[in-house]
Amino acid sequence: MALRLLGLVGLLVVGFALSLSVSEYALRLLNLAAIAGISVIGLNFAFGYVGLISLGHAAFMGLGAYILAILTTQAGWSPWLASVPAILGTGLCAAAIGFPLLRLKGHYLALATLGLNVSFVIVAANWIELTGGTNGIAKIPGLSIAGYALSGEQPFLWFALVILACLGFVASLIQSSRHGRAMMAVRDDETAAAMTGINVTAIKVAAFALSALYAAVAGCLFATHVNFVSPDDFGFAQSITFLSMLIVGGEGTIVGAILGATLLTFLPEWLRVLGDSYLAFFGLMMLGILIFLPTGIIGLFDRWRRRAPAPETAAAEVAQP
Amino acid sequence: MADLIQLLTNGLALGSIYALTAIGFVIVYSATGVVNFAAGQFVMVGTFAGVATLVNAGWPMPVGYIGALVVMALFGALFYLIVYLPLRASPIVTVIIGTVAIGITIQNMALLTFGSWPFPVPSPFDGMMIDLGGTVISAHAIAVVIATGVLILLLWLLMHRTAIGIAMRAVAQDVKVARLMGLRVQWLLAFTWILAAVMAGIAGLMLGPMWFADVNMGDPIALKAFAATVIGGFGSLPGAIAGGFFVGLAEVLGASYVSSAYKDLIAFGVMILFLLFRPQGIFGEKIQDRG
Amino acid sequence: MTILDARGISKRYGGLLALADVDLSVAESEFVALIGPNGAGKSTLLNVLTGLTPPTSGTITLNARNVTRSATHSRIRAGLGRTFQHGRLFERLSVLENVMVGAANRPGRSDTALRKAALDTLGLMGLERFAHQPISALTYGNRRMVELTRALAGQPRILLLDEPGAGLNSGEVEDLMTRLRAIRAEHRLAIVLIEHNMGMVMRLAERIVVLNFGSKIAEGTPTAIQADPAVLDAYLGAGSSYAGV
Repeated sequence: MALRLLGLVGLLVVGFALSLSVSEYALRLLNLAAIAGISVIGLNFAFGYVGLISLGHAAFMGLGAYILAILTTQAGWSPWLASVPAILGTGLCAAAIGFPLLRLKGHYLALATLGLNVSFVIVAANWIELTGGTNGIAKIPGLSIAGYALSGEQPFLWFALVILACLGFVASLIQSSRHGRAMMAVRDDETAAAMTGINVTAIKVAAFALSALYAAVAGCLFATHVNFVSPDDFGFAQSITFLSMLIVGGEGTIVGAILGATLLTFLPEWLRVLGDSYLAFFGLMMLGILIFLPTGIIGLFDRWRRRAPAPETAAAEVAQP
Repeated sequence: MADLIQLLTNGLALGSIYALTAIGFVIVYSATGVVNFAAGQFVMVGTFAGVATLVNAGWPMPVGYIGALVVMALFGALFYLIVYLPLRASPIVTVIIGTVAIGITIQNMALLTFGSWPFPVPSPFDGMMIDLGGTVISAHAIAVVIATGVLILLLWLLMHRTAIGIAMRAVAQDVKVARLMGLRVQWLLAFTWILAAVMAGIAGLMLGPMWFADVNMGDPIALKAFAATVIGGFGSLPGAIAGGFFVGLAEVLGASYVSSAYKDLIAFGVMILFLLFRPQGIFGEKIQDRG
Repeated sequence: MTILDARGISKRYGGLLALADVDLSVAESEFVALIGPNGAGKSTLLNVLTGLTPPTSGTITLNARNVTRSATHSRIRAGLGRTFQHGRLFERLSVLENVMVGAANRPGRSDTALRKAALDTLGLMGLERFAHQPISALTYGNRRMVELTRALAGQPRILLLDEPGAGLNSGEVEDLMTRLRAIRAEHRLAIVLIEHNMGMVMRLAERIVVLNFGSKIAEGTPTAIQADPAVLDAYLGAGSSYAGV
């Protein structure tokens, strides 16, 4: 618990310090990283804990963003109010889809979720009366707290960091609860999990819905920050980016989700010094990371920690109550 | 009626491209278990190999085609060495992301080399039309369908009548047993990648004159080939062919009779329905969680 | 009082009859062994009883409830427990967490209560010193014991054990037998044991059920079974056919 609170405070302190010291452009990227971080913490429930390969995570982020965008621009709702149906509706939708879909495993589930994501984009790009088609929806109102508008990059970042920290904290509570253990048990061995009384289908659907809830929160933040949504923002490529973030950071860990989201948000920008070929390098670098760091940054830390083993700590860990 | 014949021809021609892409995807999947998300980029590279030899270098038709296919064979071998070998023991998600990542690299290298402006690609049948009692259909489309039929026949002969094809099927069935039987598994797997790349290359060369050569054409093709694979049955070659033709026809007929905006929803909707109610597809393997 | 009552269980795979009209009834705190040559249908019967394989026909009653169509997890919550032939643990969880998952099959227990229950059960099995170790650090024998502990933590009324002695050395088998006896006495737990180690079967079981080719060919006390000609024939028959190969 202490460690968890420390992580929470650490994230806020580092984020706040950065928010005061970096350029406007970097602030913008930090905002995008925080939003991606929330989404990837969500994906970690489905993929990191339960092992469900979802290539449709961006569609849930998009669904949340679009519900909020439509309710605010067409029905005149306040973004705070609109975020409630946006988040809950997305979660319910994921549960309804997940119930039949999550019987699939491995690449079947990957392709099914991919198909869902592609279908979402087709609908968003063509249901013009509702979604504005490929032009998207502009002029989505921003958030404001007690009359103070979170319109600049800096105040929005503070807000996004608080949401990220809170949702990361909640995720870590779930991880170490019986539900989190049940999720990991299902990933390790479904049959053995059922044999301990775990309702495997319910756990899968719950993790999938939970991941969609987080994605929808990220979608609402995205919509109110950028004030504009279009189908391009939520394509299957974005879903694959989210999965990459989780794997580069370290699947199954919340810190890894945040690190991966941050790194992969900034990496293309850092590579821009390479000029036009930066995306070609980005692909090669990703491949290199997957080959040489299969367990991500967190795995690297673990390996480094294990290479310098202190027998006292090992013993202390065992003796811990 | 005249319209329908035209549409059917175009649908079968497009379906041929999807079927060949799906075949390349399936032979790799059966032999190696790799779900190759760069399969669409293989087709794009094939199209641009044709641009390089036929347009840029100005080689005559048969030489240009052969040159492009040699390039594709080398590309397949390179992919085997750089992507498959390092990732072969990785979990499925890593392979998916790895092939997507290298697909980004391939796409951007093509962009750097050829630019973003779409190229017209020549066909031996440029401008030729066949008049079927009032219905005019493109000779290229007919040629694509016939060529695909011949290729499928050749592939069947390769897989069932030649030592290398039979060895490839043995590897696809059980790598360990194939190794015990003394088969040189690594060479066979390399050959599988080369064959897949050449099939994709042929698809690319045939697609070029139907669309334009565009560096962004890979992803849409790959998605359709995935849908074709699932509908036909994961891991099944007849399935890839049937699925490919289904998706091509659904796209062309759907655009004309249902809605041009939602034409692609048919393929993906049918794919999801298959996954839910008949995940083994039309001809598919028994479902198992294969790494 | 009968805890588990399976009646007329048949299981057909295409043309193969894996189980043919098998009855199995187990009373509270009874110790029943299920034996038979390889391929006799013992594991299939366990899979049918736990809901992993639906039977072609027959009914299963657990704690006076018809569970024939119930999912595995609800049978576990109704008082069933099972271990697997080769020990299936959750590799990413620690020993303690594995047992906590087992203890969590009833709703409403707090995390602290779960932890205490899991530690107590580990203590009962003499495994408390491994509580905070990863599964990968365990020996094969201890893995099997942890799996048994995880099943026990769910407080089952009846426990199905699939060859718990396989792969254990003789000292570990002795230890396992002592603990099984103690637990059974203390918790009035019924046990169904599949085991090839006949010494273990004869010393533990009160009743033995013999399966061969999917049918029950004999049932009775260890002494009666040892003298049963049909059983001898089944084992010798299997033995001689092996010799023939």
